[in-house]
Amino acid sequence: MSSRTTFIGAVEIGTSKITVLIGEYTGRELAIIGRGECASRGVIKGTVVDYKAASDCTHSALQQAERDAGERIDLVFLAQTGGHLEGFYNEASVNVKASDNMIEPGDVRTVCDLAKAKELPAGRMVVHHIRRPFRVDGRMIPGSPENLVGQRLDVGYWTVHGQEQRLADNIHVIRGFNLEVRELVLASLAAGHMVTSAEERQHGVLAIDIGAGTTDFVLYRDGAPHTTGVLPVGGTHLTNDLGIGLRLTEGQAEKLKLRFGRANVHTKDKAHKVWLDGNFAIGDRQFPQQAIEQITAARAWELLEVVKKKVGNAFSPESCSAGVVLTGGSAKLAGIAETASKVFGVAAHLGEAPTWISENLRDPGYHTALGLLYYGVSAQAEKAATPRKGGRFLTGVKRLFANA
Amino acid sequence: MEQDTFNVSAARSWREIPQPVKPRAMSRGGRWRRGLAAGRIVALVSLLVALGWGGWMVAAALRDSPSMPAAAKTVPVRAPKLKRTDGVLDDAWLARTLALPRGVSLMELDLGQLRDRLLADGQVVTATLERQFPATLLASITERTPVARLRVAQGAQERDLLVARDGVVFTGSGFDPAMIDLLPWLAGVTITPEAGRLRPVAHMEAVAQLLADTQLAAEHLYRSWLAVSLARFETDRELEVTTKDGSVIVFSAKGGFFVQLAKLDYIVEKLAVMRAGPMRIDLSLGREVPVRPLAEKPEARAAAAAGFNAFSSRFPSQLNREL
Repeated sequence: MSSRTTFIGAVEIGTSKITVLIGEYTGRELAIIGRGECASRGVIKGTVVDYKAASDCTHSALQQAERDAGERIDLVFLAQTGGHLEGFYNEASVNVKASDNMIEPGDVRTVCDLAKAKELPAGRMVVHHIRRPFRVDGRMIPGSPENLVGQRLDVGYWTVHGQEQRLADNIHVIRGFNLEVRELVLASLAAGHMVTSAEERQHGVLAIDIGAGTTDFVLYRDGAPHTTGVLPVGGTHLTNDLGIGLRLTEGQAEKLKLRFGRANVHTKDKAHKVWLDGNFAIGDRQFPQQAIEQITAARAWELLEVVKKKVGNAFSPESCSAGVVLTGGSAKLAGIAETASKVFGVAAHLGEAPTWISENLRDPGYHTALGLLYYGVSAQAEKAATPRKGGRFLTGVKRLFANA
Repeated sequence: MEQDTFNVSAARSWREIPQPVKPRAMSRGGRWRRGLAAGRIVALVSLLVALGWGGWMVAAALRDSPSMPAAAKTVPVRAPKLKRTDGVLDDAWLARTLALPRGVSLMELDLGQLRDRLLADGQVVTATLERQFPATLLASITERTPVARLRVAQGAQERDLLVARDGVVFTGSGFDPAMIDLLPWLAGVTITPEAGRLRPVAHMEAVAQLLADTQLAAEHLYRSWLAVSLARFETDRELEVTTKDGSVIVFSAKGGFFVQLAKLDYIVEKLAVMRAGPMRIDLSLGREVPVRPLAEKPEARAAAAAGFNAFSSRFPSQLNREL
């Protein structure tokens, strides 16, 4: 990244709302200078189903953020979620070439290329290659294996891939505002990077981002992402169940969920009732609070069980000593940390943004957008550290024409 | 641990998704931004074109062409100025030499021609002229320093000239007359014109070296010298110096002059004690230095007493070797 100031837009196109944060990146520091939000339309389970509606909402949020910041966005880091995203693990190994068995950069490059060289089905595209630690003769190497002595070098990649059309739809929504999508970042990686500390990631931690339409998770082991996943289940399912169970409209059910929903049953008195609106207006009625809690708790338990099943054998209480961290808008459901703790058998807590994040951005709904900025910028910085072909001037001119 | 999440694999990456979208797929805000970006490019290109065109126009204007801006034509040049010199020439000499026409503008001047005018004066070694807008012509020059005088006859008249170390003969301007009076005359040379100028004096380096060494080592001897002759230089590599009292000293130019000057100083001291008359001292023979009295000729004595002007009628042929 060049030394000039860049205004980066972090965009999360969610099922319930679209969030945009603008970061002013000087090459050394990142400051958040603008925020924009808009209720989402045309997006179901993290997937754009109505291009016009989704574009209008996203562009509205982008304009709001630009007004707030007083600057124009140069490029965008876009969060990616949706049930179409899948992941698989592929491993490769090479024999060390040098006669003295010292591992050279060429060996590392070869084994990495081999591990990533797995063909995808037609219509699928790679979103991320997440490398797991190298192994030299079975010994785990947290850093680079270069110049170590060994006979065999192994490495594995967790590859996240998605459907081409769905990815393109998201990108085109941003391009419709004449902005370049510089990075596509898995929402779970962004949120997980924000709510977990480096120490937790080293000890093993499962970060679960429960949104309205999807639930994203990332399991960290040995300091790096190990497994990621997306479930097309989220807070709206709790709302739907409430609506069906109590014969309510979606809006009414959402209101009840936010006011009285819990991830565990807390109310003992079956006769205790709560008002739908509480304003004594015509149509206002009462519902047993225990029934509300039972419905939401059952659904929350089920959701977390599905996550546990999806993570599979990669998760074990022993390998995940830092426990479970919950984030996302639906993680505000009362008692969800206790439920998660019971489901996974490890300690669980709600994720919090680092203390240096300002108070108005500490809501779990911003964790993904915040993570997008910080994860994306660190990835950009890593890329900038490697030599690139072409001069800065040429790159600038190319970008100028690309923006037109 | 290092994370490598943005590498490209054999499988297709999301980066291969073409990002350009059709205008109809853009929102109003997007189209406005696109227009703004296009406007920025147009403005940038226009600026570059304008700069290029402006530069070309200025270059064309600076050329000596009829399309030169009228404003540049109308400002008359003020008196030219000497920006830098290592000698004695001044602004008055510069104005006199350049002789710029009245009312001429800077752009109308032919600097090459003016430079040739400056270089036509033998006193000038190098000359640089520069325009300083709006109306000043600046000159930087380096000058020759005279080491000897020369009197030449031009028809019925005689002219005193100066000779530099490199043999160039020039009129000399701005020098202090007292300094010029100290310079010895140069004799035994033939001055011939060449391409409107006088040809440089050959073997002048030897004379300049002798005079410089004498000034440095024995200035009292230098002050007593009247003339240096190159008449025997071609044949014998000898320089013949005539002093103001009529003595003749012969120097050999085959070696250095310091030893010869030391011998001469010693001999002159001895002769002064002896109150001897004009002598011929030959320092060109090495260890032996013949010193013999000169046969006094009333004409020569009178000439020596009156200075060198008495021999002016013999120029430009040769200085009287019988002096």
